[in-house]
Amino acid sequence: MIIHIENVMKRFGNNLALDTFSLDVKKGEVIGLLGPNGAGKTTCIRAIIGLIPIDDGEISVFGIHQDGKNKEIKRRIGYVTQELTIYEEMTAKENLEFFGSLYGMTKEQLATRSLEVAKIIGLEGRMREKTKHFSGGMKRRLNIGCSLMHDPELIIMDEPTVGIDPQSRNFILEFVKQLATKGTTILYTSHYIEEVEAVASNICIMDQGHTIASGTLPELIARIKGDAHMLIDVRIASEEKLKALRAIPEIKEVALENNQYHIIVPGGITIIDKIIAEIADQTIVNINSKQPNLEDVFLTLTGKQLRDEA
Amino acid sequence: MFKFNLIRSSRDIFAHLILIAFPVLLIAFFNFIFKGTAIVSEINGTPIPYLTVLTVGFALTFQIYGSSLSFETMGSDFFSPMRDRLLASPCNPRSLIISILTTSMLVSFLQTIVVLLFAKFVLGALLPSLPFVMAVMILSIVFHQLLGSVIMLASGSVKTANIIVSTYGSIAPMLAGLYFPLPDTPVILAVEKYLTPMALGKTAILGILENNTGQALAGTLPLLALTIGLFFLMRPMIGKVTS
Ligand SMILES: Nc1ncnc2c1ncn2[C@@H]1O[C@H](COP(=O)(O)OP(=O)(O)OP(=O)(O)O)[C@@H](O)[C@H]1O
Ligand SMILES: [Mg+2]
Repeated sequence: MIIHIENVMKRFGNNLALDTFSLDVKKGEVIGLLGPNGAGKTTCIRAIIGLIPIDDGEISVFGIHQDGKNKEIKRRIGYVTQELTIYEEMTAKENLEFFGSLYGMTKEQLATRSLEVAKIIGLEGRMREKTKHFSGGMKRRLNIGCSLMHDPELIIMDEPTVGIDPQSRNFILEFVKQLATKGTTILYTSHYIEEVEAVASNICIMDQGHTIASGTLPELIARIKGDAHMLIDVRIASEEKLKALRAIPEIKEVALENNQYHIIVPGGITIIDKIIAEIADQTIVNINSKQPNLEDVFLTLTGKQLRDEA
Repeated sequence: MFKFNLIRSSRDIFAHLILIAFPVLLIAFFNFIFKGTAIVSEINGTPIPYLTVLTVGFALTFQIYGSSLSFETMGSDFFSPMRDRLLASPCNPRSLIISILTTSMLVSFLQTIVVLLFAKFVLGALLPSLPFVMAVMILSIVFHQLLGSVIMLASGSVKTANIIVSTYGSIAPMLAGLYFPLPDTPVILAVEKYLTPMALGKTAILGILENNTGQALAGTLPLLALTIGLFFLMRPMIGKVTS
């Protein structure tokens, strides 16, 4: 086991950021940690690395008990922070070499490895430029590159693609997949379903500090198989109707976004007339049904949309 | 790491501009205004030219502002998301902080040298006993870099440190009689010579220039004691941010 987390509790004041949270990550696995804002993803990562003490439970990394003081654990992890942590006044090469040097790499190792990493992150040719002139996507790639310098066994990426163009994003997803094929263990957090679907072999969905479901993508989808998903667009939706729909006993879950009701009914749609009767006065403009995906797993299990920002 | 931080602070062009150009301009300006009063008579020892007093005074004053070199850097490393990134590495955070402190001291020292060279070669200031003068300058640099860092680490805020340091930086030279002559009463004279660390530095250096060993020591020793005091304060402060 590369990471073993068991019943971890972490409080910030009255706020329970991790609530009997458990997770196991095996060697070579790419685990996608999926959860909305404030779910506890970053807190989980900080606890794994030993940056914050936990209130209860047990964490071990590489089979070593995490007490926050173990340098051996830190040496073997590459940490890609959610926020950019690169030096803007310094060149890409200087950044790579600095972060490598924190892991005790020699001058020669730094020189050769920074060339390799530059290639991996697609920034060869830009190595001597100050990073403040880089685009958002290039900065993100460098942010990842800095944590690859010491060739870690475990890479932890905290929402590595936030706020970048689709092209850079695809680039990042591609090389995450490539790293995985070389046997590196990867913990990847995101609130973008497509990303987790694309890179992860195993998925852990978390909300409010605990796991609500985990498994492979097909396993997760299978959990909600048989549920029918209806998308009904109306002219002007209302919260009252949302409540009224939720009150219909056959309905498992309803969410409302942009004047669209997303209704989940177990066992196929048998009550469409009931639903339509309820919202007919809001002027239905479109009705659709769809195949469930990971997003629906989340919706089904929590009654919430995973994403609250675009 | 040391090299990285040195390059990093050398790229802060704005800081160099302020910390070199301002003292140079102020020295030139006051020298121009008070050109008539060429000689300043101290109570004991050899009289020394006013330009020399200005040069020493402003070099010391801008070492106070220069303390932001280290605490701003520490702030951006340890009071930002960068902290997690750095602490996630096996590198000892103490050595990171020490590297920031020493590089900032070095940069502040180089800035002081540029100011002194300018005063000497462009304005023609007399600067005898340079090795001893530089020794006190270095002590003052070490003191002020530590002071700024201790204030920032204790308050946990770069902003607070900036406010305190710049207030001190604007009052200290006044109290040391740098901008305008202060009345010659014994109390005010004591304030002028000993009240602030900057005044201690000035007293020490003028003592050296006047060949007045007693005064040189009266400035140097308390400054040295204060520096050692800060040094011991720094230890728990570093622990506070890195654990
Ligand atoms: N240092 C802290 N002090 C107080 N509360 C905190 C701290 N860090 C996290 N929290 C709280 O703990 C909860 C989990 O936060 P966390 O940052 O782990 O979420 P996240 O899943 O990473 O969210 P996001 O997608 O927004 O990054 C949130 O309610 C957050 O406000
Ligand atoms: Mg987060």
